[in-house]
Amino acid sequence: MPKKVIVLCYRKIIDSTNTNPWDRFVHEDSFAEFKMQAQYYNQPQQYNTFAEMLLHIPEAEKLHFLVSAAITGYLRQLNGIIPDVLDNLGRRFLTFEHFKFEIINSDIRHPEKHKIAINFFSKPLIWHDTIGDQLLVSQHKEEEAEIFTNLFAVQPFVSIHSIKNID
Amino acid sequence: MERKNFIRSLMIGAVSTPVIIEACKKSSITDGTSTSGSGTAGTTASTNGTCTVAPTETEGPFPTKVPASYVRSDITDGRTGYKMTVKITVGNLNNNCAALAGALVDIWHCDAEGNYSEYGGSGMQSTNYQSVHFLRGRQTTDANGLVTFTTIFPGWYTGRATHIHVHVYNAAGTSLNVTQIAFPEGSGTSLALVNGYTKGMTGYTYNNADNVFSDDKTGVQIAAVSGTLTAGFDLTFKLNVKA
Repeated sequence: MPKKVIVLCYRKIIDSTNTNPWDRFVHEDSFAEFKMQAQYYNQPQQYNTFAEMLLHIPEAEKLHFLVSAAITGYLRQLNGIIPDVLDNLGRRFLTFEHFKFEIINSDIRHPEKHKIAINFFSKPLIWHDTIGDQLLVSQHKEEEAEIFTNLFAVQPFVSIHSIKNID
Repeated sequence: MERKNFIRSLMIGAVSTPVIIEACKKSSITDGTSTSGSGTAGTTASTNGTCTVAPTETEGPFPTKVPASYVRSDITDGRTGYKMTVKITVGNLNNNCAALAGALVDIWHCDAEGNYSEYGGSGMQSTNYQSVHFLRGRQTTDANGLVTFTTIFPGWYTGRATHIHVHVYNAAGTSLNVTQIAFPEGSGTSLALVNGYTKGMTGYTYNNADNVFSDDKTGVQIAAVSGTLTAGFDLTFKLNVKA
């Protein structure tokens, strides 16, 4: 098949049911930041949920961006490796520099209703082949005699974000 | 770089053997337990049999609690412009405007071209996590009610006079005041010296035509700004809130 360069997107959903420490910190701190920043748009505190704020105050859309500052320190702790997505050997293999943070739902009164997503965008990969239900990919870089590859199955919440044909 | 990552991931794999040893140990402990029983009924539901590869890496890196990336005194983030030190003193209106310690002060302003850090354009657009919140910062007031930021002199954009946004919270994060700081105008002022960076001042909105500052007849929202282009500028501002 002709070679393609792809960027994968992994949308990591975090809510109050997540248990691992990184997820907990991200949940707690993004909720605290949401409560602080929402006060800028929500004066006096008229609305409780993010959905109500968006409906009545369109500029509250900026809260996605403003709250994301609460989690960029945690992104740094990942050392550029996308969590959770494993290759067929059971290892994390995707690297990232780009992300997009989303508030899915929130309520200033109830931390347990706070639900967010972090979209991780992988660095570009070359898609060499498809074997069964697995994609064979490698890091996109200058051609060398031999390149290391990863074989992985596309799991839920992982998608191909963009694609480009090469040669 | 990529090869290094690959090798690193191999190394992570290599040290996963102790996990297997640990697993063996566990089962040997449960073998031959007494009939009295121990523990309580677990609540962990089975996810065994789902068609996914189980993680086979050593745990980590272990997360530690980190403050929002706003928390820093230097908010420049590589933006170019004339250096400016911003000193804001917060006073308490409920205490004869005496210094308010422990308050959180957020500031944000645009860069030399008049742009704010924010997500641009379509919903698909992603951002590099290293430098996304430029020219936005948060500090906690000291015993004198003072916070200090290092930044650049803001540029301007159509429809607004040059300004800095300020949001003051109490230590618990409850909003106490949202306001904007205006700049003095006229010959010899910092505004005249910077002269709108590369844009110049054609089309500039002055304070008396600005929709936020035009009602400030006494200049209470105008900061004191001193300095030069080469040495940089010092901005001081007193902000009183009800705390």
